[in-house]
Formats: sequence, C-alpha cells, structure tokens
Amino acid sequence: MTSTTRVSAPAGRGNAPAGADRVRGRSLVARSRPWLLLAPALVVLAVLMLWPLIRVLLFSLQDYGLPQIVSGETVWIGLDNYTEVLTSAQLWQVVLPNTVGFSVLAVSCTVAFGTAVAVLLASLGTVWRTIVSSAIMAAWAMPAVTGTYVWVWIFDADRGVFNHVLQSLGLQDQAVNWFTDRWSFYAIVLINIVHHGFPFVAVTVLAGLLGVPKELLEAAEVDGAGAWRRFFSIIVPQLRQVFAVVIILSTIWDFKVFAQVFLMPGGAGTNREVLNLGVWSYVESFGQNRYGFGSAIAVLLTLMLLVVTVVYVRTILKEDEL
Amino acid sequence: MSLLSTRRPTPAVRAGKGLAVAGLLLFTLFPAYWMLVSAFDARAGRGSSFVPAEPTLDHFEFVLTEGGFDVFLRNSVVVALVTVVVSSLLALLASVAVARFRFRFRTQVLLMVLVVQMVPLEALVIPLFVQVRDLGLLEQLLGLVVVYVALALPFGIWMLRGFVAAVPVELEEAAYLDGATWGRMFRSVLFPLVAPGLVATSIFSFITAWNEFLFAMTLLGAATENYTVAIGLRSFFGQFSNQWGAIMAASTLITLPVMIFFILVQRRLASGLTAGAVKG
Repeated sequence: MTSTTRVSAPAGRGNAPAGADRVRGRSLVARSRPWLLLAPALVVLAVLMLWPLIRVLLFSLQDYGLPQIVSGETVWIGLDNYTEVLTSAQLWQVVLPNTVGFSVLAVSCTVAFGTAVAVLLASLGTVWRTIVSSAIMAAWAMPAVTGTYVWVWIFDADRGVFNHVLQSLGLQDQAVNWFTDRWSFYAIVLINIVHHGFPFVAVTVLAGLLGVPKELLEAAEVDGAGAWRRFFSIIVPQLRQVFAVVIILSTIWDFKVFAQVFLMPGGAGTNREVLNLGVWSYVESFGQNRYGFGSAIAVLLTLMLLVVTVVYVRTILKEDEL
Repeated sequence: MSLLSTRRPTPAVRAGKGLAVAGLLLFTLFPAYWMLVSAFDARAGRGSSFVPAEPTLDHFEFVLTEGGFDVFLRNSVVVALVTVVVSSLLALLASVAVARFRFRFRTQVLLMVLVVQMVPLEALVIPLFVQVRDLGLLEQLLGLVVVYVALALPFGIWMLRGFVAAVPVELEEAAYLDGATWGRMFRSVLFPLVAPGLVATSIFSFITAWNEFLFAMTLLGAATENYTVAIGLRSFFGQFSNQWGAIMAASTLITLPVMIFFILVQRRLASGLTAGAVKG
C-alpha cells in the first residue's frame, strides 16, 4: 500500500454469512459459488504477491546479478548473502538505527501529536472543528511524492524558505545544507512523516473519543479529577483498542518509509549515512545490480514487519471475529 | 460546547486553544500553501515573500507543454482508471464470497488478505521486476497496471467486505422468494446497495495508482513517453537543474485530483463523525 491510503479498514460487524445456501439448499453450484467468486482475486494475489514473495526468498539464497538475469542460470550460494548483511557494519551502525530508531521516534511523535489534535478537535465547536478537520484532510491528501518535494524545497540549501527566514532573523550567517548531516536529514523526514501521518491518528482517535460515555467524564470531574487525570485514567483505558490499532499500523507504515527518504537529496544511495532497510535493499539491487544481496535485505525487512503484523492480526481478532 | 469538559473554559484556556488551532493550521497547511505560492510565482526561489511576488501561469504552461506533463497526466489517468475498474470488480466478487458465504478456509483467506497488505513493496519490486521483464512488459503501461491491480486488491476486498456485510440478508432472501436466481439477486439487490462502498473503494484504488512511485520508476525505466505523473516530476531535477517553480506547478497538478477525491470521501467521514456525536 502506498502511504496515502491511510484509512482504517471498516470493521465489518460479523453479520452471519448465510444467504444463498441456506435458502436454496447445498447443491454443488451453491457450494462452489464462493470459490468461483474468489478465484479471480486469488489468482491475481497468488501470481503477483505470494509467488514473488517466495521468489524473493529464493533470490536471497543465490548470487543473482545482471549476468544471471540475462542468462537465466541459477547460482545457489546458501546463506552467504545473509552472512554478508548481518556482519556488515553498515547494517548495525547506519541502516538499522535509521530504520528501527527512526520508526520508534516517528510513531511516538505521530501518535502523540495525532492524539493531541484529536483532543483539541473534540473540544472545539462545530464550525471550527469542520475548518480544522478540512485542513487536516488537506495534509492527509498530499501525495508522498509531492509532499516530499515540497519539504525538500522548503529546506533547500540555496533558495529554501527555511534558510531564508533563519538568515533574515539573524539566527544564521550562511545558508546551511540540511540534507548532508544524518540527523538533520532525518529530522526533515520526521517532519514529513508526522505531517503526512498524524491525520489518520487524529481522525481515528477522535472517532473513539466521541464514543466515550460522557457520564464517566462528568462523574470524574465532579470527583475533582483534573484534565490530565481524566485523560489518562478514563479516556486512555477506554480507547486501548483504538490506540493499539493506530500504533501498530503507524509502525508498519513508518518501517517501510521509502519515497520520503529516496527522493531527498542524497537519499537515493549517494549518501550512505542515510540509508534505511528499504532504500538499502533497492539501491543494492537496482543500483549495484546485486539482486540476491538486495533480496536478503528485503527478506529481513519483511520478517521484521511480519512480527508487527502478527501482533496486529491478534489485536484485530480480539476486536471482532472475521 | 466542549465534549471533554462540562465547565465553562476560562479566558486563558480559550486563548491557549486559539493559539493551538492557529499553530495547527499553520503546520498542516503551510506545505500546500507554499507549493501553490511557488507554482504561481514567476520569481519562485529568487525572492523571499510569502505571497506570489509576480503572479503568473508560466510555470503551468511550461510544465504542460515542454515539460511533457500533458502526456504524463494522460498516462496516469489511463493507468489509474484501468486499475480502478479491474481491481474493484475483482474485489467486489471476492468480498461477496467472504461476507456472504461460510466455507472451508474462509478465515484463512481473510487472514491472507490482511497479511498481504503489510508486505513491503521493496520486497516485491525485485521479483516483480524480473517477472514483468520475462513477460516482455517492461517500459509499458500494461505491466504497471497489472501490478497496481494486485496492490489495490487486498485493501479493496477488506473494505468492501464491511459494506457487503452491512446489507441485510433478508433483502436477498426476499429476492429469492420472488423467484430471482443468484445472479439476478446480485445485479438487482446487492450491487445497487453496495454501490456507495464501491465508490469509496474506487477512490482509494485510484489514489494508490495515482501516487505510486516505486514500481513506476522501476518498471518504466527510460521510457519517458510512458511516465506517470509521480515519476514525471523527477525529470525537472537533473535536466533543468531544479526549476522549483516548474516542480511546484507540476506537484500542484498531481495533488489537485487527490485533494478533490479526499473532499468527496470526507463528506462520508464527517457524517460518520456527527452520527457518533449524537450518540455520545
């Protein structure tokens, strides 16, 4: 999924799937009907998602480069690619911190900011709530590609508005290139990700907030609980499920950050200090023609996401039956 | 009236809230605003004003003629529309199967649909590149459409499943009692009732295909005439050494349809929010 379609899947209330076979008896046609309906979608998913996943695993066990692509021959090298990835200093010093560290930071900021915005929205009147939520929609709708270019433009070294303002305020003597340093590079990625990601959190948490029984909050207020106390002792426990889904989905998205890094100056492989797992895999594959090595990195990324996904699926299953 | 507190806010609280709203609006809207200002300003990047110093449409004209964005826009529209039609059809059929029938492996199919959405595109891009290459579809829009259908499908199934499940089973049974076949029931009862959900799903498929960048870059390679908007933007970087006015004008053209679609969906979302407010 691209990052723009950040929308919670509507939770289908487990409407007992009865229908056709109950009324018309279980003829062969009726029994095979669900499979006939599923067949086209399953074929597409099998050919374009499951088979590629198996193949990327197979590639990761091969020395798979340009010669092999052209000739079609297979050179099995066992776990060599994995050994190389896992023993490389690049992974431990640069790529993993850029991936895991960044996503922890990005998820915390996105969820905290999104929740704060949801609380703010809940306390506004109808008119202002409409105005602010429309603005939030605009941030959400901004495609990742154009959004990233706009942030690059704002922070541009020569003519960017950010440097310009700093200079005219006298906070900075010379224009600074914010993209060369690893920390300032990822600070810009963080702003970009939070800007793009908090609307989903805000809208989802707001929907949850509006469902919290008012009587609970009123009773707490009568008992003298302050705003912070009410938030952490009543609202947060009530919205545990909502927060779980929001945090897990944000983690999955922020682990896979690609365009937001790749499209920044130096992000496409020239600055090896700013590589994350996804970009590293892509750059090794399509830049260096080391498709086997790139596949091994991609498999590691997939495995890490799988762990998060298992947690997510268990949360969903707790919420309602499929 | 505040939803979280029943007391009247003090002036200090009101001022703080006003400040928070102002800051929030500034943060959310500034990138879009700055994109528009740069797109319409002949002096983009040379002055430092926060309104267009020299309003002009030159950037748009350049982008749509010499820049080749007329072709990129057409390519993107074609790719996105075909993706929407094919993926919505397949998703609708599949969602009826999982929402209306109980059959063996139903839960497993649903779990697969859920898990497949989490797979990182970076893991799929290597094998799919090889696969599309073997099919001889590199640098062609068809290869891109095939991939986008697969990318849009899991989310479409997941979303439509809820809409199909929301249609009362009694309506279907009434159709059967009137002697309708399953096909007739599907056409005359289920389909019209699921249509609003289909519109929402289509919008998300459209946005997925419209915004996608990684596969477009990898599969289209150097075939500039087949570029979609998301990678067409890149051509303004090397060639014209960062013509920011042109880049922002092109970005505006890309963002506009997505914003319009979001506003369309937002109505639905907003009505859901007010419904919740009445209940709370």
